[in-house]
Amino acid sequence: MTTAVARTSADTADPPAEPGWALRVRELGRIYGDPGPESLPGTGPEHDTAISPRTGAVVGAWDVSFDVAPGEALGLIGESGSGKSTVMRCVAGDERATAGSVHLRSVPGDTVRMSDAERRRLRVDQIAVVYQDPAAGLNLDISAGGNVAEPLTAAGRRRFADIRSRASELLERTEVPLARMDDPVRTFSGGMRQRVQIAKALANRPPVLLLDEPTTGLDASVAAGVLDLLRGLLEETGVAAVVVSHDFGVIEMLTRRVLVMKHGRVVESGLTDQLLEDPQHPYSQRLVAAARG
Amino acid sequence: MEPVLSVRGLAKHFTMHTIDGREVTALRGVDLDVRAGEHVALAGTSGAGKSSLLRCVYRTYVPSAGHVWFRTAGGAVTDLAALPDAAVGDLRGHEIGYVSQFLRAEPRRAVLDIVARAGVGRGMDRAVARDAAAAALRRVGIAENLWAMHATVLSGGQKQRVNLAAGTISPPRLLLLDEPVSALDPANRESVLDMIADLEEAGVAVLSVFHDLDAMERLATRVVVLADGRVAAEGAPGDVLRDELEVAR
Repeated sequence: MTTAVARTSADTADPPAEPGWALRVRELGRIYGDPGPESLPGTGPEHDTAISPRTGAVVGAWDVSFDVAPGEALGLIGESGSGKSTVMRCVAGDERATAGSVHLRSVPGDTVRMSDAERRRLRVDQIAVVYQDPAAGLNLDISAGGNVAEPLTAAGRRRFADIRSRASELLERTEVPLARMDDPVRTFSGGMRQRVQIAKALANRPPVLLLDEPTTGLDASVAAGVLDLLRGLLEETGVAAVVVSHDFGVIEMLTRRVLVMKHGRVVESGLTDQLLEDPQHPYSQRLVAAARG
Repeated sequence: MEPVLSVRGLAKHFTMHTIDGREVTALRGVDLDVRAGEHVALAGTSGAGKSSLLRCVYRTYVPSAGHVWFRTAGGAVTDLAALPDAAVGDLRGHEIGYVSQFLRAEPRRAVLDIVARAGVGRGMDRAVARDAAAAALRRVGIAENLWAMHATVLSGGQKQRVNLAAGTISPPRLLLLDEPVSALDPANRESVLDMIADLEEAGVAVLSVFHDLDAMERLATRVVVLADGRVAAEGAPGDVLRDELEVAR
């Protein structure tokens, strides 16, 4: 278990190009509070806490590394507070990592060190997020078509007919009735809002897609429909996806590989079927046993 | 001819952290080779380690010690026991097939899609994969009126045949079979056994577990008997199986 903090100024060079990954995360860390090295000792799964006994800082995530290949989906699983959403937000650019690097194959440079403006720009067509709460990814007061049009306009599309036709194509693919395209999203059901969010996320065909608990909070039958949609889209588009979930059913259906997190650290990584059939870490074994009943 | 699969010193222990760290040993150092076109059947009593061996080769189980050398289509020899997860995932799609006795079907997915999806995973074009899936389903005797149905509603024997069709849509280099005919009626059993024989003739290396000795005798070129996680005997099916039957009596 590494506890060295000072990785921020070193290795600013881009990793050498090698095929096989669309998203590369290395030694990512996010500390809430004092970001100094004294905040790390005494935290992590072996200490059963993410809170530093010395500084009171919360080590939301530390030393998280993974690659995701085009067309591959990687799961992040753990209980609430394990750090999986922290990792996702740092990769998405919603938060800035305290340490480590995030590279996209399609863009030169480490996104952790980019300006806020540059990072927002990546969200137009390089990296998209589907949040658990559709209100986090959509403007509920404008129409479904308007929400989907937003990234299209941001990417430089100007012709109304062109934007309209791409928006309808996306809503059709995500099974949102076109008759409701001009209704405000606030009038939509939870499942339908999630479908609009997915349509918006895919608008500019980003090479990387992050899904944060995409079906949590939906009725079982509605969740199943959204999962089926996501499964089909992941297979068709060749996008590299990271799926954050506490639900093994979601992870099993959507992902090929998985990282298990606890108290901000990765305690195990493996092929998804291996994690379910032969979990190694005591915490993974407890999680799987609880999920399998 | 160099083996496609070469297992050396393979051991598997489970540490059950939820049950006071109890240790369970499934394999205690297994050596085994399978060549192209060869069918090695694993025999032995239940609990001898047969399924654990298949699962260690497929990496559903993490081997505790030893090597699982696999010769890829490109001629490279790689240790499946130590290969990174993503690389194992790629080989599973393209070169290693696995058909399990556990009749799990993907939820809410049509039969034809399940099999076609396996073809796309093997690098087939989408349209080609659908044709190949149709052919594979015909080969295992799944009637066309079932192709659009969700696999979860099928009978056990039908699910098993869908799994077989998916596992064999294009011949893998190595095919792992865990009781592939256990849920089948006699007629379907015959056609599936014929299909496995065809794959062997096409040069696929097969490592199998069969509950039924007839199937084993008919298909296997070699039988390896496991006992208590070790290789206890090995030989031509006729000889080994006769000895086994003697012991069983």
